[in-house]
Amino acid sequence: MTTNHGTKKNLESRWQRVLRSLLYGHDVDRNVKAKARLGLAIVAFAGIFSIIALRLVVFATVSEGHGGRRSVTQDAVATARPDILDRNGEILATDVKTPSLFAEPRKIIDVDEAVELLTAVLPDLDANEVRERLSSKRGFVWLRREITPAQQQEIHRLGIPGVGFLTENKRIYPNGAVVSHEIGHVNIDNQGIAGIEKWLDGQGLAALHMAGLATDQLQRPVNLAVDLRVQYALREELIAAREKYKAKASAGVIADVNTGEIIAMVSEPDFDPNNPREANDPNRLNRLTTGVYEMGSTFKALTLAMALDSGRVSLSSSFDARLPLRYGKFEIHDYHAQKRMLSVPEIFTYSSNIGTARMALALGVEYHKAFLKKLGQLDRLRTELPENAEPLVPKHWGELNTVTIAFGHGLSVAPLQAVMGISALVNGGKMIPPTFLKRDRAEADRLAQRVIKPETAEKMRYLMRLNVEKGTATRANVPGYYVGGKTGTSEIVVGGRYSKTKVLTSFTAILPADKPRYLLLIMIDEPQGLPETNGFATSGWNAVPVGAQVIERVAPLLDIPPRFDLPKADQMLLVSAKDSR
Amino acid sequence: MRLLNILVIGALILAASFVYKIKFDSTLQAERVAKLRGELRRERNAIAILRAEWAKLDTPGRVQGLADRHLALQPVKSSQFDNFERLPERPPAVVPSPGHDPIGAMLAPVPDTTGSVPFAPR
Repeated sequence: MTTNHGTKKNLESRWQRVLRSLLYGHDVDRNVKAKARLGLAIVAFAGIFSIIALRLVVFATVSEGHGGRRSVTQDAVATARPDILDRNGEILATDVKTPSLFAEPRKIIDVDEAVELLTAVLPDLDANEVRERLSSKRGFVWLRREITPAQQQEIHRLGIPGVGFLTENKRIYPNGAVVSHEIGHVNIDNQGIAGIEKWLDGQGLAALHMAGLATDQLQRPVNLAVDLRVQYALREELIAAREKYKAKASAGVIADVNTGEIIAMVSEPDFDPNNPREANDPNRLNRLTTGVYEMGSTFKALTLAMALDSGRVSLSSSFDARLPLRYGKFEIHDYHAQKRMLSVPEIFTYSSNIGTARMALALGVEYHKAFLKKLGQLDRLRTELPENAEPLVPKHWGELNTVTIAFGHGLSVAPLQAVMGISALVNGGKMIPPTFLKRDRAEADRLAQRVIKPETAEKMRYLMRLNVEKGTATRANVPGYYVGGKTGTSEIVVGGRYSKTKVLTSFTAILPADKPRYLLLIMIDEPQGLPETNGFATSGWNAVPVGAQVIERVAPLLDIPPRFDLPKADQMLLVSAKDSR
Repeated sequence: MRLLNILVIGALILAASFVYKIKFDSTLQAERVAKLRGELRRERNAIAILRAEWAKLDTPGRVQGLADRHLALQPVKSSQFDNFERLPERPPAVVPSPGHDPIGAMLAPVPDTTGSVPFAPR
């Protein structure tokens, strides 16, 4: 019994011992244990509370960031673009915010009612199309891009559920068509389609758009080289000229010969970038960069510069122009035939095809080719504008090609290319790639390549001036501005043959001729003879007087002071020769 | 011990009300910031619109149209410019100026006033 009792007691005490060891351990002071446990609880609670506190901080900061992000999506869908300014800071293109109407079809309750209400406010909205869009299962559809604030107010007041507004950037061209070919235009999503706008997208703006970051209104504006006032004056004169001579097209460039900046560039007809649909008309393309033309006698300047620069021909050399130049079955005539030996200046002022051709032949085909290559006339000219054209160079360049190219037939170049070449002939012999962006003299000098000797450039200026004093360009002799220039009339190829009646006339002017700062090129496509031009349609009767008007109007804007105590061309060469000695 | 507890409870209430006040203020400030941001955006958009409008009103084409309609100005001719060097000297005065200016002397004692404001002692 006792043993039984004893075992029962033992059992009980073992249970108790196990329990006790689980709860307290079996030989530990209870007080110490309690303290340790309290410590554990404190650590655990402190941990939990610090996590809560941290989460609170995180929520506080994140909610801030969240608000910011929301305002960005509200800001702009069609992304922001930098302003485009002219060289004096006049705005050529800028962004304006306009509301656009969108809908979330899933949230729309009554499609028919919504369509009815919307078409009441926007009568030109196509009801069937809107109905179709609203019935679709998509999450987001545009209903109308770029509505007026008044329309926004009205639609807002209708209170249609599932219809909302987003603010978008809209590109505005305040000057309309005046600078159209240079700045180009954008599509409805504000992406550049042509001109400088497209170039901007190539400069990293497109990547910003993709990332959705191009929302900052404070993007740095782009300064172009163009002078809005000069551009406007040139354009107005060219429009008048196109009407007066009933021409198909007219075009003009004013370039700074020392920096390569394009101060003005107009190709009529042009388009209004606010209405980009016009830009697709092939008749409105930019003839100066995307068209290639046989520049006619203008190219004689290049041939003469080549001859003078070779050192084998001097200003006093003379060439035989007594008879037409026979080459195989071809016969080269002079337009102003003199039928005698002509000196080099006479060849230039009478614009003798025979003389120039003989000059080029004397130097040889390879020399000719290499010289034109050096002046960039045989390669595609690349500028900031994405539109450009490859010159049409004969595949097999024989002597006959040299003969015709010497006076500007048989090689088609973009007119801007010719501008670059002739600028190099008169600015002292440095070829500077043209640019539509502002550029300073130091940068231009860094880019410049010497292509002819400074003495040759001196002689070319003399020849150009002489041509205005007593050559084919006498109508360009604006008093006080000392203009120099070369005319060009080339026959247009119609059906594989040179037309006798359809011509392209051009006039290349430098001003002032003694120390050129600007080069002006005027081109008129298919001008008609008028009674006051005695029925003639050659350059001297249309392109030259237009050039004179442009110079008279533009020179004060270009800060060229008129001078009236200037020497004759013959003395100019003497003076400069004395200076250089 | 009880005193300490009461003190701690008091401090807790103070701290809570203080935190509440800060929170309330910060909400107010955040609202103000949001409002100012919105205002800034509106102002900037308005400036952009005004700039575009000004550029439109300032285009050479429009100015020329206005000038043609309202002014009798003509394009400048090159002969209308001249150099400063060629500017003739000022011609000598025909009547030699006297030592003093009789009309100026009469004006001198009149105090500085404009026509519309009566003279009042300052």
